Amino acid sequence: MAARTEGRTAADRNHKKKKIFTRKMQAKFMLVFCVVFVLFMVLVFRIIYLKQRHGVDYTNAVLSHQSYVNTNIPYERGRIMDRNGAVLAKNVVTYNVILDPSVVNANNGMYVDPTVEAITKAFDDVSASEVRDILKKNPKSAYIVLIQGCSYDKVREFKRLQEENHKLVKGVWFETIFTREYPYGSLASHIVGFVNSDHSTGAGIEYQYDKYLTGKSGRESGYYDAELNLIKKTWPAEDGATIYSTIDVAVQTAVEKNIKQFNEEMGCKNIGVIVMNPNNGEIYAMASNEGYDLNNPRELTGFVSAEELAAMSEEEKLTKLNEMWKNFCISYTFEPGSTFKCITVAAALEEGIATPESTYYCGGVAELDNYKIHCNARHEKLTLEQSLMRSCNMAMMDISDKIGRTTFRTYQDRFGFGFKTGIDLPGEEKGIVVDKLNLNQVELATSSFGQGFNVTMIQMAAAYSSIINGGYYYTPHVVKKIVNASGATVYEAKNTISARTVSKTTTEFMRKATYETVRAGTATPAQVKGYLVGGKTGTAQQGVRQEIVTDNKYVVSFIGSVPADNPQVVIYVVIDEVNSDTLYNSSRPATMLTSSILKEILPHLGLYPSEGEIDYGINIIENAEDEHSAEIEKKAE
Amino acid sequence: MDNESTLNRVLKKEDGGKTTEKKRVQPKNYFDYTLLFLILFLIGFGLIMIYSISAYNATKYYSNATLFVKNQAKYAILGLVLMLLVSKIDYRVYIARFGIGKFRVNLLLIGFVGCLALQAFVLFKGDGTNGSNRWLSLGKFFKLQPSEISKVLIILLVAYIVYVSPKRLDRMTGFIRVVVFTGPLIFLVAIENLTTALIMAGIVFVVPFVTSRKTWYYIIAFFIVVIAALIFIKLEGYRAARVQVWKDIENAPGGYQILQGLYAIASGGWFGKGLGNSIQKLGYIPEVHTDMIFSCIVEELGVVGGLFLIAIYIILLVRIFKISANAPDLFGSLIAVGVFTQIALQAILNIAVVTNLIPSTGIPLPFISYGGSSLVFLMMEMGLVLNVSSKIDYDAVPELAAPLK
Repeated sequence: MAARTEGRTAADRNHKKKKIFTRKMQAKFMLVFCVVFVLFMVLVFRIIYLKQRHGVDYTNAVLSHQSYVNTNIPYERGRIMDRNGAVLAKNVVTYNVILDPSVVNANNGMYVDPTVEAITKAFDDVSASEVRDILKKNPKSAYIVLIQGCSYDKVREFKRLQEENHKLVKGVWFETIFTREYPYGSLASHIVGFVNSDHSTGAGIEYQYDKYLTGKSGRESGYYDAELNLIKKTWPAEDGATIYSTIDVAVQTAVEKNIKQFNEEMGCKNIGVIVMNPNNGEIYAMASNEGYDLNNPRELTGFVSAEELAAMSEEEKLTKLNEMWKNFCISYTFEPGSTFKCITVAAALEEGIATPESTYYCGGVAELDNYKIHCNARHEKLTLEQSLMRSCNMAMMDISDKIGRTTFRTYQDRFGFGFKTGIDLPGEEKGIVVDKLNLNQVELATSSFGQGFNVTMIQMAAAYSSIINGGYYYTPHVVKKIVNASGATVYEAKNTISARTVSKTTTEFMRKATYETVRAGTATPAQVKGYLVGGKTGTAQQGVRQEIVTDNKYVVSFIGSVPADNPQVVIYVVIDEVNSDTLYNSSRPATMLTSSILKEILPHLGLYPSEGEIDYGINIIENAEDEHSAEIEKKAE
Repeated sequence: MDNESTLNRVLKKEDGGKTTEKKRVQPKNYFDYTLLFLILFLIGFGLIMIYSISAYNATKYYSNATLFVKNQAKYAILGLVLMLLVSKIDYRVYIARFGIGKFRVNLLLIGFVGCLALQAFVLFKGDGTNGSNRWLSLGKFFKLQPSEISKVLIILLVAYIVYVSPKRLDRMTGFIRVVVFTGPLIFLVAIENLTTALIMAGIVFVVPFVTSRKTWYYIIAFFIVVIAALIFIKLEGYRAARVQVWKDIENAPGGYQILQGLYAIASGGWFGKGLGNSIQKLGYIPEVHTDMIFSCIVEELGVVGGLFLIAIYIILLVRIFKISANAPDLFGSLIAVGVFTQIALQAILNIAVVTNLIPSTGIPLPFISYGGSSLVFLMMEMGLVLNVSSKIDYDAVPELAAPLK
């Protein structure tokens, strides 16, 4: 080697023409080689560094990729049924059509034409040019929602077309979407509630029982191995539980129909009707005002005029919506008026302060403190029963005076006033009762006939139920049982007795007295041919505690039970501000509405009219005393 | 051919004068089979890896798992034929002068002019792929990247210029002369394909550097070029953006491809997930079978596999180094130096990009990455080197001859 190189250099010197790669050049090339080698070593260290430094977290990142297919399998939200199995809320399966342009455009676009053709054949929602436009504009995208909420028929048609031409129709798949549907529209809207598009719930059973209705999403996970076999793993979805409510669609429909009719004929500010079973607290129907369309719970049209709607700000709209969604029967508090007399009388009987034989004197007006309190008439001498029949305020004041404020408050508490009843619906109010220490002579007197404190309808209905059912205070409820997707009952309403209110003898008296009230007292319009109806009317001027009462705002009501001698149904009708010049402070609208409702619903509830004529006694409707609010005047100083 | 070997023998006769003996014992034509084997090995390895890595995407998008590998195999065969053909053509033919009218020219100079024209043509008429006009369609199936031809040409051209007057390189002007000659071509390439131009510039730098007896000129020139490159990057928007991505690969929005590549490299472990078991190739690394192939090689074959491949490259470079050192004349040596520089630069830059040592730029991994043009011309360069090796004076280099005996 050395000799040869020497020879070369010599040759180089001698023959200028012969140029060779000299030793010096070789040395410099060696230098270049060394630099290259060093750079390669840097790369080697870099690779090792990457592995050591990021091996664990990058491996995890890669493993998360392995689930190539990671689709969510949606669960089906539980259905809501009425007590007889009619579906109040269900789900409609629709499909989202997903386009994968990266696949459709693959292979030099050979799939484009057949796929576009199949899409437009099966789905009339999109035109061929629209699809082509999407394919052109998002050629690399893998997920584009082409059509939303597509029916199964169309999907099936597409799948058939795809089957025919499976080699060329590619890159289209479907997502299952469950859309909540309420077959009865606005029926029982305040009880059923609704689901928002973001799956949050608004109001009613949908809200209250969301955790039962909500299922668990399933997951399908898989990855393609190198041979493109899809290795799949599926965790199926758990569907939500079905809720059987206590609502009876027939009863609810009748109630709502009558409310609508009433509003058309007379009209009022607010109206609420509760129909319930007094013997277990199950609510058959609960309606307030006009229901809203559950399929479209944010639609204000029909509640507000178009011009008003256009002028509304978002905030105002929301306020209006909340108003619309509000369940009058449990969220609205008002002064109950004379219907509360039942509770006063029952308390007196329990305490032995009054007996069926007790008599009272009504002079038509009484003076207490600085107040003059009027009765609806000058009743002169009355028995206890007659005091209810004629709705005498003086007798009640007499009784409450004897009961005293401590015991009176005890009974208010026992009947649940001032407390939530615990009904299984959201938004319940607890009302306002006068504190014992503030329950002075005037307050006690007005409280005895249901003025000066606020209650909710459901409180009143539950309390009244306990009076006429033998003294069992049942927690009112709208859900009977819940059955999960595999058919097991996961919840059953236990008909909880939350308090004992009165004794059997008191119930006996009250049944008779309420019957008499309907037969010959203030509530005669509530009669239904062929049935024993018992009940009590109420008229209450709202806000009497205020010093000056400028406008005539009355809540008129009727609470009753059928049959009066063995009540199976309790009905409570409350009308806030009747739209009438003559009947605005009369209980007639309430009693008449009650009668009209009862006539329709009783057969549905298995209560049929008796063959024989029910003896309501002499027809005294013409000269029947009407229920009127107690007029309370502040004496001029 | 025969003429050339006669010429060779005649030269030898002048030197040693043992003609009679040589005529009796037929002189073996030296041929670097080790180098040939290494090339074939790399190409075979590349085909296996392309199949392993591209099968998924090929099936998914083209319903044909072997699409890419078959394509590449066709080019490999074409490349092999051309390589063997080139290896049989004496490299000195390219610079043998002949007269056209008054002008004394050679094939290389004609090629150089042609290449300049082609490169200019492609700028205006080429097919845009990823926003660059780099491709030239020849018929329906054949797409050509003229910059690949330019790369081969620049190797020959630089070697030729230097070979004509190596002494001039001892002065700065000598080097500038080389730059002036090669500059226009590099500039034309650089407009659309900076990376290739960079590699060409590397060749233009290394070959004179090796030949020159001065060192400092080149180091100064090197730094000037580096500074110029930095300014260029600053000026060009999309390259500056790439630098941003490089600095913060985990969070930068454009770093997806490289980051996924890093995931692949780091998740392979020492010995990899096994051939065909890469997860990252399943659609996570875009264009994985082209410039990013090294990442999945490491994922499947592990750090050890990656180091093995680097070792193969180093061995290949050693062979080329030896051929260069023993070439019969300076021109042959410098051709080898040029090829050496190109392969070394491409391999280093590609792996540096994949490991995020430098900002992303599109350089194929020599012999491995999917891409016909690149492979065919690379193999033609290897043909040149093989031809140079075949001209080595067999008897004069005992350690080269040893493995053949």
